[in-house]
Amino acid sequence: MEGSVVVIGGGIAGIQTSLDLTELGFKVYLVERNPSIGGRMAQLDKTFPTNDCSLCILAPKMVEVFRNPNIELMTYHEVKKVEGKPGDFTVTVLKKPRYIDETKCKGCGDCAAKCPKIEVPNVFDMNLGKRKSIYIPFPQAVPPIYVIDPEICLKLTKGVCGVCEKVCQAEAIDYEQKPQEIKLTVGAIVAATGFDMPAEELTSRWGYQYENVVSALEYERILCASGPFDGRVLRPSDQEEPEKIAFIQCAGSRDLHENIPYCSSVCCMYTAKEAIITKEHSENSNCYVFRHDIRAYGKNFYEFTQRAQKDYGVQYFQTKVSTVVEDHETKDLMIHYEDLKTGKFNDFHANLVVLATPLVPSKGTEELAQVLGVEVDKYHFFKEKSFFNKCLSSKDGMFLCGFCQGPKDIPETVADASGVASQVANLLNSVKYTEIKEKVFEVPEMEVKITDEPRIGVLVCHCGINIGKYVDVSGVVEYVEKLPYVVHCEANLYSCSPDSQARIKEVIQEKNLNRFIVASCTPRTHEALFQETCQEAGLNKYLFEMVNIRDQCSWVHMGDNEGATAKAKDLIRMAVAKARLLKPLTEASLDITPTALIIGGGVTGMTAALNIANQGFKAYKVEKEDKLGGNLNNLNVLYPIQEDAAILLNVIQDKVKKHKNIEIFLKSQIKDVKGFIGNYNVSIAMNKKSQGLKIGTIIVATGAQELKPNGDFQYNKKNKNIITQLELEQKLKEKDKSWLDNIKRVTTILCVDARQKEGITYCSNVCCGVSIKNVSILKELRPDLEIVVLYRDIQMAKKEFEEYYRERRKDAIFLRYDLDQIPTISKKGGKSEKYDIKVFDTNLQDEIEFETDLIILSTPMIPADNLDELAKMLKVPLDKNGFFLEAHVKLRPLDFATDGIFLAGCAQWPKNIQDSISQANGAAGRASRFLSAKTIKTSGLIAEVNPERCIGCGKCESVCPYNAIEIKEASMEFEDVSLVLKKSFINSALCKGCGTCAATCPNGAISVKHYDFDQIFAMIETYLLD
Amino acid sequence: MSKAKKKAKQKEEWTPELLVFCCNWCSYAGADLAGVSRFQYPPNMRIIRVMCSGRVDPTFVLKALKDGADGVLITGCHIGDCHYISGNEYTRDRFKKLHEIIIKQLGIDGKRVRLEWVSASEGKRFADLITEFTNQIKELGPLKVF
Ligand code: FES
Repeated sequence: MEGSVVVIGGGIAGIQTSLDLTELGFKVYLVERNPSIGGRMAQLDKTFPTNDCSLCILAPKMVEVFRNPNIELMTYHEVKKVEGKPGDFTVTVLKKPRYIDETKCKGCGDCAAKCPKIEVPNVFDMNLGKRKSIYIPFPQAVPPIYVIDPEICLKLTKGVCGVCEKVCQAEAIDYEQKPQEIKLTVGAIVAATGFDMPAEELTSRWGYQYENVVSALEYERILCASGPFDGRVLRPSDQEEPEKIAFIQCAGSRDLHENIPYCSSVCCMYTAKEAIITKEHSENSNCYVFRHDIRAYGKNFYEFTQRAQKDYGVQYFQTKVSTVVEDHETKDLMIHYEDLKTGKFNDFHANLVVLATPLVPSKGTEELAQVLGVEVDKYHFFKEKSFFNKCLSSKDGMFLCGFCQGPKDIPETVADASGVASQVANLLNSVKYTEIKEKVFEVPEMEVKITDEPRIGVLVCHCGINIGKYVDVSGVVEYVEKLPYVVHCEANLYSCSPDSQARIKEVIQEKNLNRFIVASCTPRTHEALFQETCQEAGLNKYLFEMVNIRDQCSWVHMGDNEGATAKAKDLIRMAVAKARLLKPLTEASLDITPTALIIGGGVTGMTAALNIANQGFKAYKVEKEDKLGGNLNNLNVLYPIQEDAAILLNVIQDKVKKHKNIEIFLKSQIKDVKGFIGNYNVSIAMNKKSQGLKIGTIIVATGAQELKPNGDFQYNKKNKNIITQLELEQKLKEKDKSWLDNIKRVTTILCVDARQKEGITYCSNVCCGVSIKNVSILKELRPDLEIVVLYRDIQMAKKEFEEYYRERRKDAIFLRYDLDQIPTISKKGGKSEKYDIKVFDTNLQDEIEFETDLIILSTPMIPADNLDELAKMLKVPLDKNGFFLEAHVKLRPLDFATDGIFLAGCAQWPKNIQDSISQANGAAGRASRFLSAKTIKTSGLIAEVNPERCIGCGKCESVCPYNAIEIKEASMEFEDVSLVLKKSFINSALCKGCGTCAATCPNGAISVKHYDFDQIFAMIETYLLD
Repeated sequence: MSKAKKKAKQKEEWTPELLVFCCNWCSYAGADLAGVSRFQYPPNMRIIRVMCSGRVDPTFVLKALKDGADGVLITGCHIGDCHYISGNEYTRDRFKKLHEIIIKQLGIDGKRVRLEWVSASEGKRFADLITEFTNQIKELGPLKVF
C-alpha cells in the first residue's frame, strides 16, 4: 500500500482535496493539464450569494498548495496510463514541455514584455483578451512560471527570434525541452476534472455566432476588474457600454434538441449574480433575465434571486426563447420569445446578450475515463458507484470530486473534496503518514534575547531587471548599510534562487545575525520561503521581515527612478526599524484527544461516525430519540433510485451498531460543553443520568424537520384528507393501503408556506423531488388515480433529476400558480372528505376549479427544535432562518468559524440524502484532520493580554470572531493585597492573530505579536521623522 | 518629518507624504496586482501591512498625522470578504468615530484620512485610488496642524 494519492485537476475541487489529504497524512501529486492551477473558479469575478471576490478567496488556497511540502504540483502534466489496484496504482504522467526551466524561472515577465507582438486570444480571458507566445495564464497563476506556446513561438516554429532567451537573466528559457514520462506509485486516484462551457456547440438559434452574444463565463471575464476590459461592462463589437443586457437562462440546458437533458444547476444563481454586479458596475445599464424555472439550489439562494429583482431592479421574464437574431448594422440583438405568463410571442431588443449555456464535463473526460478504466454516465460525466455516495467511481480506489461527477456549485464541491479525502483516508488508513515529510531543521535555533543588541542583515534583490532597472539598487545598499543596527547588506540578482538561500544561511551564520530582511517581491508568495531559510540557519522565523520593493514599488513607478529609489530606501528603513523590535516567537503545540462527538443520529450523523471510526478514532454518538435513523425512519422510498428507505437505514444502522469504535447514547442530550479544540469536556444527560466525555472534535448533525402548516390551506384536525408530504410518506409506508380506496383525485400543492414574501422566504430545495416521487408511487399503486400538481417552479437541479421529473410529468396534470394568487380550498358539504380547489393557472391564464379527495401539502424543512441552546453551548452561530451558520458559505461549508467544531447535513440547510451523506463524509474528513495530527501547532502570530493593563471590560471578547477570548476572574497580587478581578484571556489555540481585539481595547492592554504597537509606531516614526 | 527637512522640501516642489495601511489578504493583494499589471501611480506613499484592517488602531493614524503625514489611507477587504469574518466591520465602525475626532477635535480636513475597500482583483482600482488620493492631498497642501 502506498501512502500517496494522485489528484487529477487543479481547480477548487482538486485544490481542496489535496490540502485535506495532506492534513490527513497523505502525500499528493496534483496533476493539472494547464500551466496553472485555479481552474474555473479563478476565472470567476465574484461568487454568489455573498458576491465575494472569487480570486480573493481562492488565491490564498492556491498559494497554500504551492507552499505545501507534501503536495507535488505537476502543472502542464497529463495522466496517460494507470495500472494496478486500490492501494497500489502505477500512474504514468506526461510532462509537457514548457520550454522554460521551472527551477530557474522567477515569473518576472521580462520575456513576455519583449516577445514580439504575435498575439493569440487569451484562453483564460475566454478568448476576449490577447496574450503573447510566451505567457503566464493570469497574473496570480500558481506556479508563477511562464510557458511558451509552441504553436506560435517564432523560435520553435521557424527557428528565428529567440528574444526571450536573450532577455531572460535567469537563463530559464530552454527551447530544447522534450515531453517526458514520469511514473508515480500511489494508493488512490481522485478525478476532479471539472467542466467546460462550450457555447460554440449550441445550435445557431441562440445566436452565439454573433459578436455581442457571449457565454456567461465570457461575461465573468468582462465583469472582472482584472479582465480584458478592466471590469468595465463593454460589449465586444464596439467596446461601448450596453444599455440593455439580456441574460438568457437554460440556453441549451434541459433541452433535448441540444442533447443536454439535464439542468446545469448553477445558472439561475450566477445569472442573478452577474445581473447584480452589472448594476453595480454601470448604473445606467438595465438587466433583463429570460428565465424558465427559478432553481436556486442552495442556502439562501432563492432569496438572492429575489434580491436581484427587488433591490437591483433586475427584470425577470418567464419565457421560452425561440431565437436570437443580430441586427447587422448596430450589432444589437433581437430576442424572439414566448411569454409564458401571457402565452404571447414577443420580441425584445438588447445591446448585449449573455447566455447561460450548458455546463458539460471538461474536454477529455471520456479519454481519461478510459485511461482510468472507470465508467461515465449517459451525460458523459463520471459515473458514481451508487447514488448514495457520489464520490466513489465505478472502480475501487478511484474517487470523484466536483463537477466531473455532475453539476454542482462551489460549496458542494468543497464538501465533496473533504469527503473524498476522508474516504481515501479510510482506504489507506494503515499507511497514513508514511510518505509525509515533516520538515526537520538540523541547525538548532539560536537563542535571541530581547536585550541582545540587534544585528540585522539585509538582502536587496535586483529581480533581474524588474527592480534593478527602476531602483538604484547599489545606492540603496550603500544607504542601508549605514542604518542603525544593520551589520550587513548586499544585493543579488534573484533572492529566491536556491544559491541565494545558501548565501542567506551563510551570512546569518558568519556575521552572527539575529534579524534578517529581504527586500524583493511580495511576502504573499515568498515570505514562507525566506522564513524557512532563516530557520535552516537557526534563526527563529519570526525574526525575519520582508520588504516589497517590486510589486509595490519598482513595478508601479516605472517612469520615476528617483521616486522609486527613495521609496525603496524608506520601506527598507521602516523594516529595519521594525526588525529591531522583533521578538522570537514560539508555536505552542497542543494535544488533541483522539475522539469525536457526533450530535445527531440520522443518516448524516451515522455516516460521519462510521467514517471517523473507520479511521481508528473513537466516535460518540448522541441522539435525542430512542432510536437511530432520524428522518429516514419516516421515509418510504428514496428517489431517484426508488429504493426502500428501510434498506439504506438498516445497512448503515447495522454497521454503526456493530462498530467497536462507536458508542451510542440514545435518548440523550448535550448538557454542557467546556474547553476548546482538542480538549472538550462534554457532559451528556440521558434519562436522569449524566456522563462526562473527553472530546477532541465535534460534529453537529442535528438535522431538520418538516414544517406543519399552521392552519393554512385548511390543514387542521377536521380535514382528514389534507395532509403533509411526510404524512403521506408514512401512509405509503403502511402495509394497509385501504385509505386510498375511495380516492379518485389527489392534488399536491407545492411551496406551501415556502418562498413567501415574509416568514419563510427560502426555497427548501427538496420538496419538489419528494412530491414528484410520490406522484409516481401513487400512480404505481393505483394507475387509475388522477393526480394534479400545483406548482410555482420545479426545483430539480441535480444531474438525473430533470429526467426523473420529465418521465413523471405524464403521471400528473401540472398547473402553475403564482404567489399573488394562491390556490384556495373549501370543503364540500356532507360527511365524505371532498374538497373544492380553485386555482389561477398562469400558463393558461385562466381560473380552474375542480374537486379532489386528497390534498398533499408540500411544506419546507425547518430547523430542528431547541437549536438555540445547543448553539450557545457550542458557541457557534445560527443564521436568520435558524439553521447553523458555517464559517464561509463558499469555501468552508462544513466548518464553523470556531476551530474544532463542524457541521453537516440538514443542520446546515435542507438537503437530500445524497448531499447529506457527502457532507457527512466531508465533515468527518475536516474533523479527522485534527484527530490524525494528534497535536496542533498554534501560530506565533497571536494576540496577548497584559493583565496589569486589562480592566476586564470585555470589549475584546465581543469583537473576537473566533471565540478565542474569554473574560475570567483572576486573582491579582498587589503590594499588600490580593484581589479577584475580571481579566481577559486569549486562547492561543483559537486566536488567528487578526488584531481586532487590540485595536478595540480602550486601554492598550492587548498586543499583537509581530504587529505590535511599538513595532508599527517605529515604522511610522522612522518614515516620517528620520 | 523634521522641521528642517520639511522646510527644505517646501522650497522644491512639494510632494505629500502618505501612509497606507493594507490588510494582508485583499487590499495588499490588490496592491500587488497593480504592480503585476504595471498600473502606475505616484511614489510618495508607503504601505504598512497588517493582517487585517481591524488591526489598525486609531492611534496609528493619529501618530502618523502628528509625525507629519499629509494623509492616511486605511484599506481592507470589502465588507463580507474579510479573512477574519468581521474584522473590517469593526474597522468601519471605529473609523467613523476616528474621523469625527479628526475633523471636529483636531480640525483636520476629513479628506486627509480615508477608509477604502480594495479586493485582490482590483489592481486598477488600487492604482487609481492612490493617484486620486495623492492629487487630493496635493490640492489640500501640507498638513500644518501640529
Ligand atoms: S482581512 Fe482584509 S479586512 Fe480583514
